[in-house]
Amino acid sequence: MWRTVTCFALLLVSALWAFAQEGALHAPKTVTAGNSFPILTAGQGSATFYLLGVGHVTKRTIQLGQEVIVPASDITISGTYQAIACSSSCSSATFQVLPAAPARLSFLLHPSRVPVSNGDAINATTLVFDRYRNTVLSPAKAEFHITLPDGPTMTRIAQTTRGIIWFQMGSTSKQGRLQIVASIAEVSEPRVIQQVASDACHLRMNAASAGRYVKLETDPIRDCAGNPLPDGTIVSFTKIDNAGRSTVDTPIKKDKASAQFEVSGNARISVACGVALGNELSVGGRP
Amino acid sequence: MKTVLLWVGLFTSAFLLLGRLQSGPLQVSAATLPKVVLHAESVTPRAIEQRTGEMVTHDYAQAWQDFASCVDANRTDLLSELFTGEAKVRLMHLIADQRKAGIRTHYEDHGHEVKAVFYSADGGEMQLEDAAQLEMQVFDGQKMIYSASSPRKYLVLMTPGADRWYVRSLESVGNDAF
Repeated sequence: MWRTVTCFALLLVSALWAFAQEGALHAPKTVTAGNSFPILTAGQGSATFYLLGVGHVTKRTIQLGQEVIVPASDITISGTYQAIACSSSCSSATFQVLPAAPARLSFLLHPSRVPVSNGDAINATTLVFDRYRNTVLSPAKAEFHITLPDGPTMTRIAQTTRGIIWFQMGSTSKQGRLQIVASIAEVSEPRVIQQVASDACHLRMNAASAGRYVKLETDPIRDCAGNPLPDGTIVSFTKIDNAGRSTVDTPIKKDKASAQFEVSGNARISVACGVALGNELSVGGRP
Repeated sequence: MKTVLLWVGLFTSAFLLLGRLQSGPLQVSAATLPKVVLHAESVTPRAIEQRTGEMVTHDYAQAWQDFASCVDANRTDLLSELFTGEAKVRLMHLIADQRKAGIRTHYEDHGHEVKAVFYSADGGEMQLEDAAQLEMQVFDGQKMIYSASSPRKYLVLMTPGADRWYVRSLESVGNDAF
């Protein structure tokens, strides 16, 4: 019993003696970024105090034996720091500055335009930072409020791993504005994706002969979910007759595309829009 | 005909798979650059292509060489274009602070074991965990005030540019972080 007490006392004395050495520093193992804290020093007289961080360095004169207050502004960057006191010799203490609470989001949503009904076409990556732009490493929960073009809102909750959350989702079947708002703590970051019509579906055209000419017009051009393709989308009409092959590229105007060919003899006319092929017509013209 | 198409398909798939960095670590150890070994076996959500892995490994090694030169000479003009965003801002501040205090830091770089842990699906961001073997000496004028030789860990965010990968964030983390 006495032997144990003696050993413990000796250890305590040794520790105190070591700490009392000139310039000895005692810093907490971890502190939170942006929080002032004291470093204890031992010894007498003045010394030069250095604080070495990953992105910040300070140097000043201190009195040994007194507390050194490290101001909040000196430890805004998270990482490993060295506190060093030098008089006749130098001694140091290492401590870790941990990121503060989440306060900033970097929300990346791709692409900015996406065709409807496209599986896993939308990628969302969120990086979580504290108010000093340090990556928040401890897991934090974020909410994603997804507002679809036809109104309803869904909420998705995810947890960060090393300060990052990512997910993929498919586009919905209705074209329009898809808004996703990423939120963590009091911070929110909205992003918008435009869902646009996909490829044309059931593309059909009608022909009307007028002498040597044939007038062609498509039905309203829509994708398979019924979304009208935007004006300006190119539709190609191709005619093959005695005069050879000829193609007219024309933009959609008010949901439809139209063209006119001069026909020599019997002709076959086809229509296509992007990867979608429409119906083919046979028309007889004047030779 | 079907058989030919099947063989072409198989050959193409095999070729594409070979292009992925799945088989083993990539290494850069040019005479002038610090040794960087990139492990990308467990990266998500997207695999790293061979060429991308080579670029990342080279540019990260180059970035460390630049970092060490800058903080040793306290010169911002030695800083190449490989640092950007917050990493660049912090490095510029560090050099300004060191110059003001009359301090310089010398690094002996004994290499980096780098693990790619995140590569975004759109290829826009890559997160790395770096276990670095660094010898660090800090001088105030001619006097060495601090010396340490211990493993250090960094969390790195790199983003692609037209012809290189930029270090956007280089954060020192505790030894128990990963």
